[in-house]
Amino acid sequence: MKSKYLFVGFAALMALSPLILPAYQVTLLNYIGLNALVVLGLVLLTGVGGMTSFGQAALVGIGAYSTAYLTVTEQLPQFLMWTGGSPWAGLLLGIVLTVISAFLVGGLTLKLSGHYLPLGTIAWGISLYYFFSTIESLGGHSGISNIPSISIASYALDTSNKMFYLIWLILFVAIILTKNILNSREGRAIRALKGGQVMAESMGVNTFRSKMVVFVISSVFASISGWLYAHNQSFINPTPFGLQMGIDYLFMALLGGVGSIWGAIFGAGIFTMLRQWLQDLMPVIFGNDGQYETIVFGLMIVLLMQKAPSGLWPMLVKLVPPRFKANDLHTELTEPTQALPAGDLPPKGTLILEAKNVTKKFGGLVANNNMNLKIHAGEILALIGPNGAGKSTMFNQLSGVDVPTSGEVIFLGEKINGMLSREIAKKGLSRTFQHVKILPEMTVLENVVIGAHLRGKKGVWASLFRLDREEENNLLNEAKFQLERVGLGDYLYTEAGNLALGQQRILEIARALCAHPSLLLLDEPAAGLRLKEKQALAELLMKLKAEGMATLLVEHDMDFVMNLVDHVVVMEFGEKIAEGLPEDIQKNEAVLEAYLGGAA
Amino acid sequence: MEINKILLVSALAAGSITTHADVRIGVVNSSTGPVAMVGIPQKNTVALLPKTIGGEKVTYISLDDASDPTASVKAINKLISESNVDAIIGPSGSPNASAVIGIIAKAQVPLLAPVGTSTVVLPMNPQKKWVFKTTQNDDLIAQALVEDMVKRKIKTLGFIGTADPYGENWSKVVAHLASSKGIKITQKESFQRQDTSLTGQALKLIAGKPQAILIAAPGSSAVTPQVALYDRGYRGQIYQTHGAALDQFLKLGGKKVDNTILAASLMLVINEIDNKHPSKAIALKYMNNYKKIYGEYPATFGANVYDAGLLLEKAIPVALKQAKPGSIQFRQALRTALEQTKELAGTQGVYNMTPMDHSGFDKRGRVMVTVKNGQWKLLK
Amino acid sequence: MDLDIALILGQDGITSGAIYALLALCILLVFTVTRILLIPLGEFSVFGALTLASIQAGTPSRIVWLLVVFFAFQLILDLYAGFRNKTPFHLRSHILWAIYIGLVVGAMYFLPLASLPMLIQVLLALAVITPLGPQIYRLFFQPLVAAKSLVLLIVSIAVHVALVGIGLLVFGPDGAQTQPFSDAVYQWGNLAVNSQTLYIIAAFFSMILVLWYFFGKTLYGKALRATAVNRVGAQLMGISPIFAGKITFAMAAFMGAFAGILIAPITTLYYDSGFIISLKGFVGAIIGGLASFPVAAAGSVAVGIIEAFSMFWASDYKEIIVFTLIIPFLLWKSLTSRHIEEDHE
Repeated sequence: MKSKYLFVGFAALMALSPLILPAYQVTLLNYIGLNALVVLGLVLLTGVGGMTSFGQAALVGIGAYSTAYLTVTEQLPQFLMWTGGSPWAGLLLGIVLTVISAFLVGGLTLKLSGHYLPLGTIAWGISLYYFFSTIESLGGHSGISNIPSISIASYALDTSNKMFYLIWLILFVAIILTKNILNSREGRAIRALKGGQVMAESMGVNTFRSKMVVFVISSVFASISGWLYAHNQSFINPTPFGLQMGIDYLFMALLGGVGSIWGAIFGAGIFTMLRQWLQDLMPVIFGNDGQYETIVFGLMIVLLMQKAPSGLWPMLVKLVPPRFKANDLHTELTEPTQALPAGDLPPKGTLILEAKNVTKKFGGLVANNNMNLKIHAGEILALIGPNGAGKSTMFNQLSGVDVPTSGEVIFLGEKINGMLSREIAKKGLSRTFQHVKILPEMTVLENVVIGAHLRGKKGVWASLFRLDREEENNLLNEAKFQLERVGLGDYLYTEAGNLALGQQRILEIARALCAHPSLLLLDEPAAGLRLKEKQALAELLMKLKAEGMATLLVEHDMDFVMNLVDHVVVMEFGEKIAEGLPEDIQKNEAVLEAYLGGAA
Repeated sequence: MEINKILLVSALAAGSITTHADVRIGVVNSSTGPVAMVGIPQKNTVALLPKTIGGEKVTYISLDDASDPTASVKAINKLISESNVDAIIGPSGSPNASAVIGIIAKAQVPLLAPVGTSTVVLPMNPQKKWVFKTTQNDDLIAQALVEDMVKRKIKTLGFIGTADPYGENWSKVVAHLASSKGIKITQKESFQRQDTSLTGQALKLIAGKPQAILIAAPGSSAVTPQVALYDRGYRGQIYQTHGAALDQFLKLGGKKVDNTILAASLMLVINEIDNKHPSKAIALKYMNNYKKIYGEYPATFGANVYDAGLLLEKAIPVALKQAKPGSIQFRQALRTALEQTKELAGTQGVYNMTPMDHSGFDKRGRVMVTVKNGQWKLLK
Repeated sequence: MDLDIALILGQDGITSGAIYALLALCILLVFTVTRILLIPLGEFSVFGALTLASIQAGTPSRIVWLLVVFFAFQLILDLYAGFRNKTPFHLRSHILWAIYIGLVVGAMYFLPLASLPMLIQVLLALAVITPLGPQIYRLFFQPLVAAKSLVLLIVSIAVHVALVGIGLLVFGPDGAQTQPFSDAVYQWGNLAVNSQTLYIIAAFFSMILVLWYFFGKTLYGKALRATAVNRVGAQLMGISPIFAGKITFAMAAFMGAFAGILIAPITTLYYDSGFIISLKGFVGAIIGGLASFPVAAAGSVAVGIIEAFSMFWASDYKEIIVFTLIIPFLLWKSLTSRHIEEDHE
């Protein structure tokens, strides 16, 4: 069934609810909607972006307090007089303040790694909560009451039923926007944040910027939820914006499934209703009041994490008969409108990359010692050597993942050592990885098109409002072309994690090719390939060489290397011990000594 | 995906409103959280409230708001829309009550609020005409305290309150009253209930050299600052609010809280009250009945709920003559009847409601109490 | 602000700081061996203090039934695992547990609690709370031995939430304070030093000494350190990560409860006081980069002192100051360990 129909069906059902359900249930649905909006942002932030945040509740608070302050204060300061205390101005103020806070706080938090990130969010979450409670003009602990209702023209949304439509309308729009952005160039960059940052950076993605985008979007959702909450409840105080609520939002996201959009709504719904139900039921069973529902929730989350860490929603989806499942989840490709911008490759023989006396020390260990090498356009160079020779380290120096202790790496006349890998990618250098770095849950096509990131321009706004469809189509067609070129044309819509290892390696090459580089760096491309696959790979590399591509590979497979490459550099103990044509290297005494410990 | 949503919606539809012939009273207290010391005796008192009034059965529906105003709002909404209550007793805390005024006024449900702050009924306006207080006004209490200060020629006062709605509210009340009587507030400090040490605040207060210090904290947290002040050598007069009117206070404070002055309900010193006082008999009856069920005497806060029950007991029969329970006309009639209560003796004093005064207390509603040798004693 | 006040505040700060440092020590310990951030640590402290208060008041504390309930679940789960996965079921250890718990329950209900000497009361409280540590590990964390850090953090928070609810159930909403170890007060010039402060500082140093000896000189301690460095490697050497986890949690529960008992005479503790206190221990641990104990200890004491002085200067903003301070440290820590995020942890 087309996902559009499912969506419309659901929307219609929700639209009917206030007409058939009793008043209190509508109120409950309102709470669910408000929570779901925040949790949607959290799914984006934590589920997709991999950044656990306990501070969303504080951001909701900023939205709520901004509008409460604006609409309730009798004497507005000069620069806010023009707003006339309208709730819509409150919305604007809230969003502006929240985005500013997100930039400030995000700028700090997003530089944190590993554990420090969630702890950092706890820190500023608590600080903001105490800030709300201490400021006099925000009502302190007693809060602000008599917040007016939202009015559209002169129609006041002053009952639960009326607010229901506004809340759920906004929620649906938010879902659509989220889906839009995730299925776009920006979206792929965001989806690469969890488990693929190194790879994304080397394809030219600015991961910090992507993190910021996600953070700001989730904070805007939180702010809007706060605005709706304030005008719905007509009373706010600091409690719903503290750490406890921040933890609750995360629990909701986990319950539903932190990686899925619908999981957000589902999780918010289950949590809110279950809490209500427990609050009603537990005192009846146990006689007196205690916070039993906290015990139950705590235990439930533990159980969930132990048994079903990806949440309840995916489990539920499995139970739905296939007839009702959405089956058009990937974009259909149409004819490209134009080819992507692609400069000419440098003429054959141009010096593409030069390493001059590159040395890398790790404390006392010298991994690379005064290494020199040159690669030219239309040439394939192999870097070989026994284990521990320093090939991978050298590779990292050349590709920008690491910085040489001394020496220079020059790419097309420009010094690139010390540059960020995404800057280097812009120059025209692309690489693959020894341990395949793909995003297993995305399709093959989506994985490969990440390589074309730098050849697209459409950013956040275009993706949100689907103004990027044309460019997107062109990008995807390019990826399709590269995949057909490397022989994976039949696997466009397969989940990348389902490919065999050999195929995944070839996928990486297709991805690197999408960047239209002038230099291809391949890290052990033949490892794990079968004979036929190696032949196909060799043919591909020869074809590229004929087109003018410069290629450097690090390899162990001698047969593969010797029959393919033009030039070989041999390393041992961090130094170059031999260089030259394959036939000569095979007879070189120093090389034989290094590999075999003596002449054969 | 669709199926789940259908299930969700049907589950919600499963809860529905029932119509009722009996009288329904919603009760909201803070049985957990910082104000639990107030809320628990109030909740327990529900069992002592009249089960039939004017021939109709009365059902009480109790909810906890965990001392949080947001939860109070949710609870009130639930009582109004799900249970269709005719009146509500509660919440336990002043800010919680302030938070819900708009809602009960809009739904036209009378609220009997056992809270201290007078702002829930003054200045009277179309919203507040739905609210009735069964606790002495905060400023009635504060007035008594300040009058005592004036009597003792105290000119400088230090203040420390909890960083929550209770303490915040009190600091406003005291600031206002003290300045009107020419008493200067030297220092205003706040503390969190869970703070492990109050040395900083105590030192700051003492440094201001006030002649007296007022502590505004609910329940057992009222002891901590007083003990901290004592430990730091402060021997000036300490005043407490009725949030401290608990036996817990005496137990935790021991010798260090001797000579504290509070203005509170006569229940604390019931045995010293003149038999002619109209409230003594009623208070004694309440206290003994409570003890029969729960094995101990109630804290004074429970009595505020008992008084709400007395008010309703008098007003409901009047309303029943005009409309059926569950209807808006019944609630309107109830409100009018409550407003006309005259000389009703409750446990806390004698109630006289008027359209302008929904608190109904006069000076008979509070006594000055002090601590001597670990016991509550009437202040002479 | 004169010298006298500064000294008093300083003493106050050091007292709180020493408690935070003890908690920071627990947090570091648990984190390095198990990668778990022990958010529920505060609950151990509060449970210890409230149990002692209950004992001193002569009322048997219902917390012992939690031990029984956890043990029952443990038994069921172990039996199930033995049946399903054929993991060996250690009958002897379960019998020992049962006997121990039986003794504790008996002691709680049959001994004349209020009239016991203070030392025995303290030991009884510790004896009740310490076994909760390994039980919690077994029930909630053991199945997650190989899980990602985020999952462990979430479970940790969930356990904290549940324990606070259980705390309310068992101890009620009242606060409690215990009797000080001694009423002595010493005079150092103008400064009156509370003997409780001295006890706290003494306990702090002796804990450090004991742990230094344990980790440096004994085989078990070295085994724990090995697990911290490389779990699989240690496993290959015969050191069970589960065993390491249980021992670590037992130590953390013990030290946590002890910290709570140390501070209970000075302040009133409630069932929900634990979180804020442990958060401040976390601030200290983070200052130490979640790795170095001396720095964490110094950081914790600094937090205590800053808190004490903030309480004096701006009591309304005290919490904001303490928690905002942590952010520059987080930043500094993050930037100095330069590495791009790895795909797996």
